[in-house]
Amino acid sequence: MSIGLLLLIVVGLGVIGYFLGRRRALASVSGDPRRLHSLPSQYGQSVFLFTVVPALLLLVVWLMAQPQVIDRQVRGMVAADGSEGAALSLKMADVTRISEGLDALVARSAVTEEQLDSMRADFSDIRGRLAEVGVAVGADVEPDVFQAAKARRSLVGTSALMMSLAVLALAAAGFAFALNRIGPEFRARNVSEAVVMALLIGSSLVAILTTLGIVLSLISETLRFFQVYPAREFFLSGVWNPQFRGGSDLGIWPLIWGTLYVSFIALLVAVPIGLLAAIYLAEYADKRVRGVAKPMIEILAGIPTIVYGLFALITVGPLLRDYFAQPLGLGNSSSSVMTAGLVMGVMLIPFVSSLSDDIINAVPQAMRDGSYGLGATKSESIRQVILPAALPGVVGAVLLAASRAIGETMIVVMGAGAAAKLSLNPFEAMTTVTVKIVSQLTGDTEFASPETLVAFALGLTLFVFTLGLNVLALYIVRKYREQYE
Amino acid sequence: MTDATANNVPASSVHGGSLLSQNVRTRRRNAAERRFRLYGVIAIGLSVAALLLLVSSVLNNGVSAFFQTYAKVEVMLDPEVLDPKGNRDPAEMSKVTTIGYGNLMKDAFPAALQKAGISVEGITDKEIGDMLSKEAPAQLRNRVLADPDLLGQTIEYWALATGRIDGYLKGRVTMASAELDSNVSPAQLRLADQMREADMLETRFNWDFITFPDASELRPEAAGLGVAIIGSAYMMLIVLFLALPIGVAASIYLEEFAPQNRLTDIIEVNISNLAAVPSIVFGILGLAVFINYAGLPASAPIVGGLVLTLMTLPTIIISTRAALKAVPPSIRDAALGVGASKMQSVFHHVLPLALPGILTGTIIGLAQALGETAPLLLIGMVAFVRDYPSWPVDGFFEPASALPVQVYNFTTRGDPGFVERASGAIIVLLVFLLCMNLLAIWLRRKFERRW
Amino acid sequence: MYDINRVESSVTQGDIKISAKDVQVYYGDKHAIKDVNVEILDKTVTAFIGPSGCGKSTFLRCINRMNDTIPICRVEGRIALEGEDIYDKRVDPVQLRAKVGMVFQKPNPFPKSIYDNVAYGPRIHGLARNRAELDEIVEKSLRGAALWNEVKDRLAEPGTGLSGGQQQRLCIARAVATAPEVLLMDEPCSALDPIATSQVEDLIDQLRADFSVVIVTHSMQQAARVSQKTAFFHLGNLVEYGSTDDIFTKPQDSRTEAYISGRIG
Repeated sequence: MSIGLLLLIVVGLGVIGYFLGRRRALASVSGDPRRLHSLPSQYGQSVFLFTVVPALLLLVVWLMAQPQVIDRQVRGMVAADGSEGAALSLKMADVTRISEGLDALVARSAVTEEQLDSMRADFSDIRGRLAEVGVAVGADVEPDVFQAAKARRSLVGTSALMMSLAVLALAAAGFAFALNRIGPEFRARNVSEAVVMALLIGSSLVAILTTLGIVLSLISETLRFFQVYPAREFFLSGVWNPQFRGGSDLGIWPLIWGTLYVSFIALLVAVPIGLLAAIYLAEYADKRVRGVAKPMIEILAGIPTIVYGLFALITVGPLLRDYFAQPLGLGNSSSSVMTAGLVMGVMLIPFVSSLSDDIINAVPQAMRDGSYGLGATKSESIRQVILPAALPGVVGAVLLAASRAIGETMIVVMGAGAAAKLSLNPFEAMTTVTVKIVSQLTGDTEFASPETLVAFALGLTLFVFTLGLNVLALYIVRKYREQYE
Repeated sequence: MTDATANNVPASSVHGGSLLSQNVRTRRRNAAERRFRLYGVIAIGLSVAALLLLVSSVLNNGVSAFFQTYAKVEVMLDPEVLDPKGNRDPAEMSKVTTIGYGNLMKDAFPAALQKAGISVEGITDKEIGDMLSKEAPAQLRNRVLADPDLLGQTIEYWALATGRIDGYLKGRVTMASAELDSNVSPAQLRLADQMREADMLETRFNWDFITFPDASELRPEAAGLGVAIIGSAYMMLIVLFLALPIGVAASIYLEEFAPQNRLTDIIEVNISNLAAVPSIVFGILGLAVFINYAGLPASAPIVGGLVLTLMTLPTIIISTRAALKAVPPSIRDAALGVGASKMQSVFHHVLPLALPGILTGTIIGLAQALGETAPLLLIGMVAFVRDYPSWPVDGFFEPASALPVQVYNFTTRGDPGFVERASGAIIVLLVFLLCMNLLAIWLRRKFERRW
Repeated sequence: MYDINRVESSVTQGDIKISAKDVQVYYGDKHAIKDVNVEILDKTVTAFIGPSGCGKSTFLRCINRMNDTIPICRVEGRIALEGEDIYDKRVDPVQLRAKVGMVFQKPNPFPKSIYDNVAYGPRIHGLARNRAELDEIVEKSLRGAALWNEVKDRLAEPGTGLSGGQQQRLCIARAVATAPEVLLMDEPCSALDPIATSQVEDLIDQLRADFSVVIVTHSMQQAARVSQKTAFFHLGNLVEYGSTDDIFTKPQDSRTEAYISGRIG
């Protein structure tokens, strides 16, 4: 039974429960709702909630746990020959792929269940059959792997069936239980409100779970990485040179350098332009100009980063190469720190300008009046009174922008290049932490290898970095706001 | 007041002189003022220019993706070749692969040219055949399989031309560039010119770009966005159905019920920090938790949808809380005053009033999610997918692409024809975003309420 | 409550410093000031009194063109400083404000050091050729605002750290430092406690020796204590203008009388 159908049945049962519960409540007081403790619909609600909520929770828990349980059982079958570590995980990946391939074969009615039962790795051309459904298996399938795959397939099938039954049973039980409790004295409102409250609290815990998920997955994979690759090398080596066949140099410094260089150029573009634009719009522009210019700058904020990436790749990169880098003899690569930095700077303009706008507007009018009253011009007031007053806030905004720049991915993937280098020339292609996370995790390398796992260590570095910047920035901005409240 | 003395203020040259004429210093200061103002104008100008350059670059490169060149081929659908068993059974006929159809077209095309009186001297039949896309035979095959009655007829078939011929008609490929290009020869381009005069080659609006799936590296002319659009749509559905209820529920709890305690503080800090976590970190989360741990299929919209849900939640929570906060306490008091429970006052009165704000925030969150690329790269959405996923809910678990990832995919390919495709895909993406934002603005205007 | 010295000093008033003729002020469609004609004397404290919303602050802000910063505000008529129309196209409001300083209702020291607060005006107007001259101006201004003894040891500390009364005197010192000819004060004591108020009032009386001081106040007692001339505004009109003694003892207009006796306002 597909999950969609299961969902539909459970929700359908809940809806039926709602109407039945309502009717039963009314019937229990012979149609006089005034004698009920709660509103009739609240009785219905309580049945609906008791039917749907526990069943769906079970469904989610089951779906989360099932792969682990099955994995453990199947692992024993292929580990019999003593393989472990990387070899075992390769085998397990094969098992998964083959069992899914068999599913596809059956779904296409290319083989029947009976045929499948009698299939043996040593006789049938499993590899060829699997290729028909687009599952490519590297070598011929070993018998134990094939048996494990078949076992896995049947376990998945059984588990799915059991899950459907269990979920339906729980839904039915909740249905019966809730319906049974209905009577004039039953405090349906309090019960259903308690359930709703629990759901509300549960929803707000999702944020914590997400953070936990991020932190735990980053830390655990990073620890695995440090088991196969020395942490000293990672943090201290100045060479980044991953090899497919092992023996890679995975020093983080060239990536950090590239990241900081690109971000620096981006801020060099975004901070003055964003700040001056914000000042102009806040202090000088008349209504008409503001009405046009402000939305236009805001549009820049709504454009996805992939668009900026493409802009860097097909327009800005070639432009910089043909008109600056080549004539000046600084290089002939269209992806460069400059390309990515400029485009990222444009992306950050609205970010800096809207934050600065808030901050400048938070400076009290009395400050401006005081300055004008002394005969200062507007620009003198802005530079010598408003900006110094707003400085902490502006610093916070710049830090937030820096954190954005460091974590930005698509623009650097498409604009900065892939070569890990420690160079000062901004027209040279360099690479960043985020670019390498993408390239190490999208290749075809084996998951347990240091070349893949290093991405998690990079991710953790990035997470810690940006989080630190954010906490600092928010702290500064909050202090600043308190000053004028 | 002992230290106050009279006549203690310095006299100054500034203060002499008439108000009606500006003194030197004032003129200098006013010049500085004008300069400063000019910096502001320049900053605005640069931002606007960057926007215009960006948009025009995308439009310039991308509009042509919506047009495609087709060549007219009169092809006799020989039943001997296409249905050797002669029983018109599509299952049997599907044993004839695209190669069979390709041969048919390769033979028919030069013949059709000759029939139209176009000289094919100095150009081999192979070169002529290579002017048609490698995708054309497959499309012809699909058409025949869908309608076996065509067998035996001679049909006028508009076949996809290759990307180079298409590029020539769009001005991307020139005679000069063809000299250096192993994929196209000047002779082919001259033939294309002649065909155009004979109305055998034309460029039409390209619906297939929006509906067709992706095509391989060598066939930019056949690459479309169909699978990517479906994938993105599925993910948006998932985000909508997960992020909206969870986000609204969390906001209601935090805004209306949460006690002032440690846990609430932790949740609040978490939400504001999650809003600033780089998107790629969410991709890592998706890979580690949803794919490696929970065993969900890679490249599937469900994983993308879940990752984007987690990313969108902070946006939705922040805007929902703002909308709830904007509902004045008097509304809550009024409901409580007539004996409603706190829960009822929230769900019956506060929530409906906050709804326009919540929806606006949700749409903006969805628009952000629609354009998000980096996390999707990590969960395998870059895979090359040509099969349309089936209907939800099962389709959520089948491989698909996503619009922004498809753009990235196009840019990683060598053929210059894909630049046009990538920019065209961006246009589609931007049109979707524009519609969503307009909807949000419309909602805000229509339901905006001030207390 | 009248001090005989003060009445005598009102006799030695200076020449006409500012003259306003047929002044009209509009805020958008609202006619805020109607037909005001007044002559303000040098070396004199002139008080503008009247119920709130009567236009006294609006008129004050016209005198150094602070209303220019409000886009919807429009001024008609003629206001002349020593015979020169300050609304003439050729007049630069920046230059005007160097001559006509202003102190505001709420103390608004800049978030800078005490020294930099006072030095701000001289710096932008270029009144000091070197650091020593600037030091001298700052010291003199702070002495002039009766603040020197209290702050001389902590000039580098932020001005926002002072008490309310000290802050207001700092703002006066800041205004005095640019050596204006006229000092406008918009309810300078309304945010202060009584002790700080009396310090500032004493200061205003001393400032009269050097400047023409115009003070807007909602307190009739304050007007009587510090001013020699008083103008009574009501609903945008200048109802009555004369020596403070006359206004308070024998008002000519029934509205003035009503206000002074506490029946309106």
